[in-house]
Amino acid sequence: MTNNLTRQIIDCDVHVYPRNADEIKAYLDQPWKHRFNIRKNSYYKKPSSPVALQLGDVPGSDPDLLREQLIKRWGIAHVILFTQGHITANHDPDYSNAVARAYNTWLSETWLGQYNPDGVFKGSIVINHHDPTASAAEIDRWAGHPHMIQVQMDTGARAPFGQRQYQPIYEAAERNGLPIALHPGGESMGINKPTWLGLPSHYTEYYTGFSFAMQSHLVSILTEGIFERFPKLKIVIAEGGVTWLPSLIWRLDQEWKALRSEVPWMKRFPSEYVRDHVRFTTQPMERPEHDEDLLSVLEMMDAENLLMFSSDYPDSDFVSPDDSLPQLPTTWQTKVMYDNARNWYSL
Amino acid sequence: MGRHRVCSVQELPQGERIIVKLDGRSIGVFNIKGELYALRNSCPHQGAELCKGKLQGMMMPSQPGEYVYGRDGEILRCPWHGWEFDITNGKSVFDPFKCLVKTYDVEVVEGPEEDSPNVETYLVDVEHGFIVVTV
Repeated sequence: MTNNLTRQIIDCDVHVYPRNADEIKAYLDQPWKHRFNIRKNSYYKKPSSPVALQLGDVPGSDPDLLREQLIKRWGIAHVILFTQGHITANHDPDYSNAVARAYNTWLSETWLGQYNPDGVFKGSIVINHHDPTASAAEIDRWAGHPHMIQVQMDTGARAPFGQRQYQPIYEAAERNGLPIALHPGGESMGINKPTWLGLPSHYTEYYTGFSFAMQSHLVSILTEGIFERFPKLKIVIAEGGVTWLPSLIWRLDQEWKALRSEVPWMKRFPSEYVRDHVRFTTQPMERPEHDEDLLSVLEMMDAENLLMFSSDYPDSDFVSPDDSLPQLPTTWQTKVMYDNARNWYSL
Repeated sequence: MGRHRVCSVQELPQGERIIVKLDGRSIGVFNIKGELYALRNSCPHQGAELCKGKLQGMMMPSQPGEYVYGRDGEILRCPWHGWEFDITNGKSVFDPFKCLVKTYDVEVVEGPEEDSPNVETYLVDVEHGFIVVTV
């Protein structure tokens, strides 16, 4: 463990939670304060829970514990925080907007404020993407914050993210120089559509399907010309899987050769837009039987430059910096664990 | 190798094409708005008979949400998968420097071409010259 303390790590996906609903209610006006409950994913539950990890009563709610278990243990320079309110599942857009604002204010006051004297914590501005105009206003509200470094767009949705109604979100993110992280949240819940063909029977299917939503949104963003319309926009695929990219982008590149006339604003190969505009967090990394197979695929997708390490602490899918990845080539290690994220977020 | 007379000018009016075999190669000769072009009749993708494809325009590169039609009649679409090629230079639209089809010099000459082995095949009722392709 000693040599771990000397290496530099940025953890690009860490979840923090309020200890109870009152922590969020403190930032809600009426009528939302009366209506608010912490929304949990009551549809798909992991059949086992990580009790052995001793994460406290509400995992991810205790800054001292998080610092001890994650930051000190692995010598992490920055952790990028996500809230998990499943905000887009709610049917009332005014309620969703209010809850998004409350979560962001709570994050700013606590994890990015009083828990953050050394600036190790960086945050994500969560938005209710069903209301793009309100989302843009919320992005603008936090854009000057020293520790809010990206926008969090949960992938549970009613339409693919390239469609034109979402443009105010991309305009605001680009104008403020904030990457947008697409992160699982709200899939199949509430008013959102399932990203599967129908509702799956098992958590196993549900969790595997997080990558389906990412692929659907990414293809939409590429083909609708979002990166032509917003040439400085950056997208992060967070907790959406990684190694599906080569096959997806090979297919899109190939079909584009014949179909480009349908989307004439795609002036370059789709893979070129991905290289310039998209990054991937590592967790959950697909693990085939042989590490060399994984490394071959990673090499095919230029993972050296596209990957940013993430642990997903404290969720049940947490992975450690030591064991979650195969032994990466020496020249990749600093990039994947630190440099790619530092450059992407200008940390 | 060499120059091959493929037909008389009258046999290839504007908007028409002819596919001939020269030195063992299948070649399409096109009359586009009075200009003559010759391309190898084989798509670099999977070898389909490219010169049997539709001649159309193309959607020009544009801003998102904008549609700009141009190059009408100058874009050859492969009949198999629809890859687009610029008839004037053989270059694909999607990757002009890496994906292209061979083009050949084509010209109109007056009078009979005595060194062409194909002369007898096409020498009929000629009044205004012959189309000659150099392979």
